[in-house]
Amino acid sequence: MIQFKALLIKELREAFRDKRALMVALSMSFLLPIGLMVAFNIIIEKNVDNPAIYVKFTGSEHAPKLIESLKDTNILSFADVPAENKRQWDLQSIELVIPDTFAKDMATGLPIDVILRADSNEQSLLTPLMRIKANVSAYSTNIGYKRLIVRGVDPKLLQPIVLQEQDMALPSSTVMIISLFLGLYLILTAFMSGLSISIDSSAGERERNVLEMLLCQPVTTLKIVLAKLFCSSSVSILAIVVMLVLTSIAMDFVDLTKIGATFSIDAFTFIALLMLLIPLCFLASALQLFLSFQAKSFKEAQSTVTMLIMVPSFIPFVMSMMDSKPVWLEWLPISGQSIIMEDLFKGLPVDWATLAITSSSTLILTVAVILGLAQILKSEKVVMSLS
Amino acid sequence: MIEVKNLHKSFIDKKNTVKALDGLSFTAKDGEITGILGPNGAGKTTCLRTLYGLLKADEGSVLVDGLNVLEDPLAVRQQLGVFPDKFGLYERLTAYEQVDYFASLHGMQGAKKKAAIAQIFKDLDMEELAHRKTVGFSQGQRMKVTLAQALVHQPKNFVLDEPTRGLDVMSTRVLRNHLAKFKEKGHCILFSSHVMQEVAALCDRVIIVSNGKLAAQGTPQELCDLAGEKLLEDAFVKLIGSDEGVAA
Repeated sequence: MIQFKALLIKELREAFRDKRALMVALSMSFLLPIGLMVAFNIIIEKNVDNPAIYVKFTGSEHAPKLIESLKDTNILSFADVPAENKRQWDLQSIELVIPDTFAKDMATGLPIDVILRADSNEQSLLTPLMRIKANVSAYSTNIGYKRLIVRGVDPKLLQPIVLQEQDMALPSSTVMIISLFLGLYLILTAFMSGLSISIDSSAGERERNVLEMLLCQPVTTLKIVLAKLFCSSSVSILAIVVMLVLTSIAMDFVDLTKIGATFSIDAFTFIALLMLLIPLCFLASALQLFLSFQAKSFKEAQSTVTMLIMVPSFIPFVMSMMDSKPVWLEWLPISGQSIIMEDLFKGLPVDWATLAITSSSTLILTVAVILGLAQILKSEKVVMSLS
Repeated sequence: MIEVKNLHKSFIDKKNTVKALDGLSFTAKDGEITGILGPNGAGKTTCLRTLYGLLKADEGSVLVDGLNVLEDPLAVRQQLGVFPDKFGLYERLTAYEQVDYFASLHGMQGAKKKAAIAQIFKDLDMEELAHRKTVGFSQGQRMKVTLAQALVHQPKNFVLDEPTRGLDVMSTRVLRNHLAKFKEKGHCILFSSHVMQEVAALCDRVIIVSNGKLAAQGTPQELCDLAGEKLLEDAFVKLIGSDEGVAA
């Protein structure tokens, strides 16, 4: 116990005196809350404030009332675009072509073809196009109803069935994307924050010629590895705690009710997230130590360990593509945590049994990696590469 | 006391096999300074690494105060003070913290540990270095810190792998004086070197290793007599160099 305490204190001292590595570790925690605030604000602005849309009208003089109705919902003519946005609206051009016969056909009750021309692959145009479509069709329906009423027909006859949609998902799909992103970010933080400290305490020590001295001491390699594991995972746990606290503070400054969404990190979510992420921090540190102890140099360790980060970012991404997820995915490290986090952000109740299974599988894998590493450190291969 | 008996060690990789130790045997007694002398690549470092239990011998055994390294490497390391081939310092720690760390690794604690650390800093005359971070230390200062961390637990046996490499005269003297003091107290000191004057000045017994084998052993004077040379350097070259040498 004296030995372990000494090993751990030394690792922590070194880690916390390495200001640069610590700053990198914690920078992720500061970035997320700021990023989230900006993202939510953009979404709210888009959804609630109905920003101006500039459309290139052709033949607007034929349908002044339609143009007027569009103008009411902030859909304006391209001629009015402010100079600083001109290039943007010219590039992602939206055209609305109104035929010359508009007024005549309207009077005689013939169908009128109004053409909306735009690139539907352009993500940023999705909302503007939807708004234009909704507006034009509302205008059209409005006139249609009036025609029926004039002829003494109840417009309700046109709608025998009214489909009432009750969406179980979060009200806004963008909020879904954000919650997916948040889950991914949390997992990435678990994997990245301790990274430089893991590499420094393994490949770094070898490169600074202090590893041989340590291996000559009367301590088991298991104790050495465990001390390094606790040190680097405590840094990533710290990063996650800081991040969650800052995020919950940041969310107080964003009024999500405007878009009908709720997202807050209350005490319960906080604890559930920590329970999910702490085992992941241990696993991440264990894998990083395992890889970087085997690398021949600090540089090699950096490149192999960076490859490791691809795994946690890849798994949730692939899973979001899957339509039906096999149940064993819930039990495995990373995928399990990712699924539970998704539920948590949707506001669904936490499945504690699944949480226990995925946490234990993560910890079992961690123990296996650590025992393997302790064994490897006893091997001659490691000693030979010291010189 | 350190007893090395019939050590064999080969390194095998895909292409070739290198026989680093080929039946090396010697004894380093308590109260004596024993020097291992040998050309580069003779197997000195391999021998010492086997002694700390970092490498496992293919054949033969190493006994430190009667304990077998193969059976219980941790107990053996408890008896050893090690000054390794390449030593680095933890540059973000102070000299004191670093020596404290190694004292704790040897299971020392409380007042006893404090007293031991204070003593070693005093012995090595490095009290003013104690609370400075070791980054930027000179080679001599680094040697002192390494020496302090190797000796803080007052080991019965002390093994040094080319300790004077890169040291100036003053630092070499500090090291030499300290080894002599240690010897007075009846400790067993084993060190490898290829600096002849140092070995001649310091060692009670010299073991000459060549090609992983014992080429000759004895006091510096005995070795000179054996080779019929006046200087140890000439004796050394003769003893390892010729096929009809003493060991052949």
